Amino acid sequence: MAISMHESVDLGRPGETPPPGAAKRRSPWLGQHMGTALIAAAGGFALGHWAGNAIAGNYENVAGSGQNNVATVLALSFGVLGWLIGSGALNYPLAKLVGKEPAPEIEEVGWGRYFRFTLDHKVVGMQYIIAVLLFLFTGGLLAMAIRTELLSPTTHYFGPGTYIAVVSEHGTVMMMMATSVITGPIAGWLIPLMIGSRRMAFPRVEAFSFWMFTAGYLVILTALPFGGFPTGWTGYAPLQTQAAGGMDSYLVGFAVVGIGMITAGFNIIATIINYRAPGMTWSRLPIFIWSLLAVASLLALATPTLVTGGLFGILDRTAQTAFFVNEHGGSSFLWENLFWFFGHPEVYIMALPGFGIVGEILPVFTGKPLFGYRVGAAGMLGVALLSFFVWQHHLFQSGINPDMRPLFMLTTELISIPTGFIYLTGMGTLWKAKIRFEVPMLFALALYFNFLIGGITGVFLSDVPVNVTVHGSFFVLAHFHYTIMGGLIFAFFGGLYYWLPKMTGKTLNKTLSLVHFWMMFIFFNLTFFPLFIVGLLGQPRRVFEYAQRLQGLNDFSSISAYLLGASFLVFTANFAWSLWIDPKPAPANPWGSRGLEWQTPTPVPFNNFERIPVILADPYHYGEENPLPVADLGVPVGAGVGSGGSGGSGPSGISGTTLIEGGPGDV
Amino acid sequence: MSEVSRTPQLMTTPEEAAYELRAAEGAIWTGSRLLVGIFTFVFASLAFAYFYLRSSNNSGLWRPHGVTAPTTIGASVFAIVLASAALNLYGTWRMRKGASVDWEVSAWTAVGGLLLALGLQIWEVTRLPFYPGSSGYASTFIGWAVLNSTLLLGCAYWLETLLARAIRLRRAVAEDGGPSRSSAPPARLFRANLEGCTTFLGFGALVNLIFFLVFYVVV
Repeated sequence: MAISMHESVDLGRPGETPPPGAAKRRSPWLGQHMGTALIAAAGGFALGHWAGNAIAGNYENVAGSGQNNVATVLALSFGVLGWLIGSGALNYPLAKLVGKEPAPEIEEVGWGRYFRFTLDHKVVGMQYIIAVLLFLFTGGLLAMAIRTELLSPTTHYFGPGTYIAVVSEHGTVMMMMATSVITGPIAGWLIPLMIGSRRMAFPRVEAFSFWMFTAGYLVILTALPFGGFPTGWTGYAPLQTQAAGGMDSYLVGFAVVGIGMITAGFNIIATIINYRAPGMTWSRLPIFIWSLLAVASLLALATPTLVTGGLFGILDRTAQTAFFVNEHGGSSFLWENLFWFFGHPEVYIMALPGFGIVGEILPVFTGKPLFGYRVGAAGMLGVALLSFFVWQHHLFQSGINPDMRPLFMLTTELISIPTGFIYLTGMGTLWKAKIRFEVPMLFALALYFNFLIGGITGVFLSDVPVNVTVHGSFFVLAHFHYTIMGGLIFAFFGGLYYWLPKMTGKTLNKTLSLVHFWMMFIFFNLTFFPLFIVGLLGQPRRVFEYAQRLQGLNDFSSISAYLLGASFLVFTANFAWSLWIDPKPAPANPWGSRGLEWQTPTPVPFNNFERIPVILADPYHYGEENPLPVADLGVPVGAGVGSGGSGGSGPSGISGTTLIEGGPGDV
Repeated sequence: MSEVSRTPQLMTTPEEAAYELRAAEGAIWTGSRLLVGIFTFVFASLAFAYFYLRSSNNSGLWRPHGVTAPTTIGASVFAIVLASAALNLYGTWRMRKGASVDWEVSAWTAVGGLLLALGLQIWEVTRLPFYPGSSGYASTFIGWAVLNSTLLLGCAYWLETLLARAIRLRRAVAEDGGPSRSSAPPARLFRANLEGCTTFLGFGALVNLIFFLVFYVVV
């Protein structure tokens, strides 16, 4: 293999002290950061509230009602704008108005970088990890409140209004978190490393998506002081139109998170298509990247429907339009259609990256190639495509034309075929394997166990007769907790345990990790399996009273839920202990993985790869006697190796460019 | 707590720089097409709402008394957007021929046109012969006004940022043939960005055509 070596332009060497002038000390508290973002958000909130009252305070429907939705929506919108301005997210878009080039990226070290708008995908990934954990634990605390209320059918801790507000907040926070729990943190951190790139395509867009995600968190938290919302996470009209101010937080919050999701999907697609290293052909792409490509397509194309639907809801509540008001020429079913056109692809937005993660973990710990790689990748794309054609199964009970039911029952059942492809990829890899039962592998196996239960009950639910029987019951609740928590969240933690040594350079305490896994696995199943039974016995969702005979099962579920919650405390303790209190350095490749991301030094350098790698083989040649190396990491690009990415050797003469330096494309 | 900031330490070969440049150009191409896809779903949601409410005709209130939004203003918005997109397309074609100044003139005019259309779109909302919640048609029209305003503002912003960048580039790559000819990375990325913007503006004009027909012509 002839690879031409060209003279390099020396811009310094990693690890060396930066030359004079290149380094400067900067206090983390100078400039823009999360603190200034919070201050600006509070200022924006106050300004928006004042403006809303000035605009609409004298409207007939507002005066004396105690509810000015214009003020609430403007307060939240200006608050988000303030958050973005205060964080620095809008500096470059504003500078572009006068044609300014983006400032060269500066590598920062120290804690301050985690509180700032930064273009380093690894820092954004870590910011996302903390943010999704915050989301998860907030939603988890609300879940504890729900299970506490359900300890008794007659003794109440909350009133019915507070209970439904807590349920709605829990569902919405968890769904917001779940859409981004992998695509934000793990994908953001890993995509460039797994495809051999030094950056995301649009680093500012990636950072923007994170700051929108966190803005959405703050907005949805405001729902509780505004009185909550009674609709659950689905926000159904006409209840949506009638609800108190907390509904505005739901609509604005989902729109804000939705924009963050769209931008994240946009960036992931552009990066995977264009920034693959030479030799990273489509057939060598890691299965996790395939799953992200499928998910990003859904994020970019399905989420606009949610944002637009949210806008219609906001207009109904502020400009007094009647999109969802039957009596004025609108239709409450319009929301339900728009919502579920997003909402069902959303289910796969949550499921697919989990399968992508376990697809990476299984070959490493079985020592076998990934079984049916192409079938698995095709299954992921098939699920993504079919997910656009199933949304009406959520409206089986809503008075749709009965003749339409079989069609959507069929499309829903069809989706089990590509899902089966993905599942069989895992089962085939496990077949006759000598498994290393490390913590990431345990989480991967748990996903298959949990998702089998969630998936099979999903097939039942797609059938109209079962659907109309158990609709709105705890059976449905148990089903989707088995798929989302049992699938996605287990995969998320499996991914964390697998990649955290690379991300942080620290080894997590194995004993605590095992305690976390076993507690989470056992008490997850003990919490949610009984809920299938109480659902079949007739207990409805979102109602805080139930039949006395179901108390035993509910109490069992509640106590298990507390212990499930405690398992996250173990994880938090492990995280803090292993990273800060008693850190132990991790080897560069502790699991013996062939993945490209593991071929980099730990900690991963600022630019990921000193040379853009040339990919020679897919990462799944486990168990072979003389497998090809995955990549040639020490040569410049060009010269005779098949290019899978968009690049390749181009005209010379463009030298001295640091690759993070931006141009007009550096959005 | 103090911390050190440092510039990226990297040895970059010319091939790597060229590789990255081509990837960046490709990302702009992909991104602009993805934007078209994203906004297609945004406006498809509006179209779905329009046809859903029209076919439902709940309470007989799809469009009582056959009222429409002011056609003169709506037609003006549509015509100006179409003209702006066409003008920018022509200017882009001229730029490919090397006439950067022609593009700058046409693009500045297009930005002005888009802002005028935006102003007219907002003004139209104040001249409506119906209350926003009076019918399904009225509601979807308000939705259209908001979404189209966002689209027009976004297009005007994108084109203006390109013009501002072109002015700076004119000086920076004057020796190398100017923004339309230079092989310098900023000029190449500028041209890729302009091509993406022109595509998106064409999409915006198409959206305006469709919804002009829907709201004013074949209601």
